[in-house]
Amino acid sequence: MLGYIDKIKEISERVLKEGTVEMVIGFQKGTLPMMNEPCFVKCSGDVQRLVWDSNCGINLANYLTDRKEKIAVIAKGCDSRNIVTHIIENKIKRDQLFIIGVPCNGMIDKSKIASMFEKEIIEVVEDQNNIIVKGEGFEETLKKGDVLQENCAICIHRNPVIYDELVSDMVEEQRDVDRYEDVRRIEEMEPDKKYGFFDDLLSACIRCYACRDACPLCYCPTCFVDESRPQWVGKGQDPVDIRTFHFLRAYHCAGRCTDCGACERACPMEIKVRTFTKKLEKDCLEAYGWEAGMSLDERPPLDTFRPDDPEDFIK
Amino acid sequence: MLFKNLMEHMGIEPDRVHFSWISSAESTKFVDVVNEVTAAVKALGPNKNFIIKAA
Amino acid sequence: MSDWEPKIVSFLCNWCSYGAADLAGVGRMEYPPNIRVVRVPCSGRVSPKFILAALRNGADGVWVSG
Repeated sequence: MLGYIDKIKEISERVLKEGTVEMVIGFQKGTLPMMNEPCFVKCSGDVQRLVWDSNCGINLANYLTDRKEKIAVIAKGCDSRNIVTHIIENKIKRDQLFIIGVPCNGMIDKSKIASMFEKEIIEVVEDQNNIIVKGEGFEETLKKGDVLQENCAICIHRNPVIYDELVSDMVEEQRDVDRYEDVRRIEEMEPDKKYGFFDDLLSACIRCYACRDACPLCYCPTCFVDESRPQWVGKGQDPVDIRTFHFLRAYHCAGRCTDCGACERACPMEIKVRTFTKKLEKDCLEAYGWEAGMSLDERPPLDTFRPDDPEDFIK
Repeated sequence: MLFKNLMEHMGIEPDRVHFSWISSAESTKFVDVVNEVTAAVKALGPNKNFIIKAA
Repeated sequence: MSDWEPKIVSFLCNWCSYGAADLAGVGRMEYPPNIRVVRVPCSGRVSPKFILAALRNGADGVWVSG
């Protein structure tokens, strides 16, 4: 994973110099540890800013919406699936893109690591399998496998599905992961208990909409929360308003969500917002055999009709 | 279907939301479904969770 | 609570269920008075927002019919 960066820089420099693209979207080091930020490189001299490590969890497909120029984008497995979704939804054209595919080993969960230490973390470095966390007066080595983001730990599409060039050989996909254990646990509850469960889950929400902004699928010109005539959802902290927001945000991602984890990563209150989208993802898989963003040739389930679509909910 | 499932998942009773398909010639089916829906909602009692409390 | 009657917001398609309701009326059939009908040009017009808005604003049930 760490060795990728030389190859990324080499490809980026080449495509910029040759004029194949006008911009490369990648990651640069952030100002805080474990917070890499997106970066837009426009001249080949600047490629040295690019980095690649286990903190590149932001979904770069988010920055492609409605762009007109030719762009090279660095794509992990989940990013590439979101790029496919973008192309299907006509948010960008395939021939505008030069996709630098990055087989991914999972990203680390910054809030999980931060919660493991009482003192402030000043520096985080990593080698192949370990994360070394340093702060004032302490230094500890963690196994990367133990601190992965939850969605990365259960990811079964680590390799990019479309790319123009790969930075390394494909990594081995995870098998035998139980992707929907937590969804099933909620499904088994009684309605009242479910309601209470989500009340607890959402009680911390401050309506900052970071989950929406981080999501590559959320590109409506006017989001339903900002519509005021009629106003579908209040702007305050009313629990019902909060729930309406989360419900509709998730529902708008039905059949499109790739479980990239950007929403959860962006949440400042550490709410497990993927709880909603994962249920939809599971249903799509079970009802329509659909996984979002796997192919350019297939239309998503919610904009096609097939005679064998499940309809037992209609009287 | 996804909508209904997610509502249920969130803890809204499944019998609160109904979908049906009735032709304009099927007045008997219409009456049957009205009866069915009303009975189902009645059995649940008032909607007390997902509702804006009057200020 | 025994005299409680539910309010059910019904989104009926102009061409299907609304017609059926009309026919039921012409035929003098009886059915419970709990439904509050909203006529829509097509049941495809009904967005999830509508259903949530109905529930949020005090409906006890929602019925969408094509």
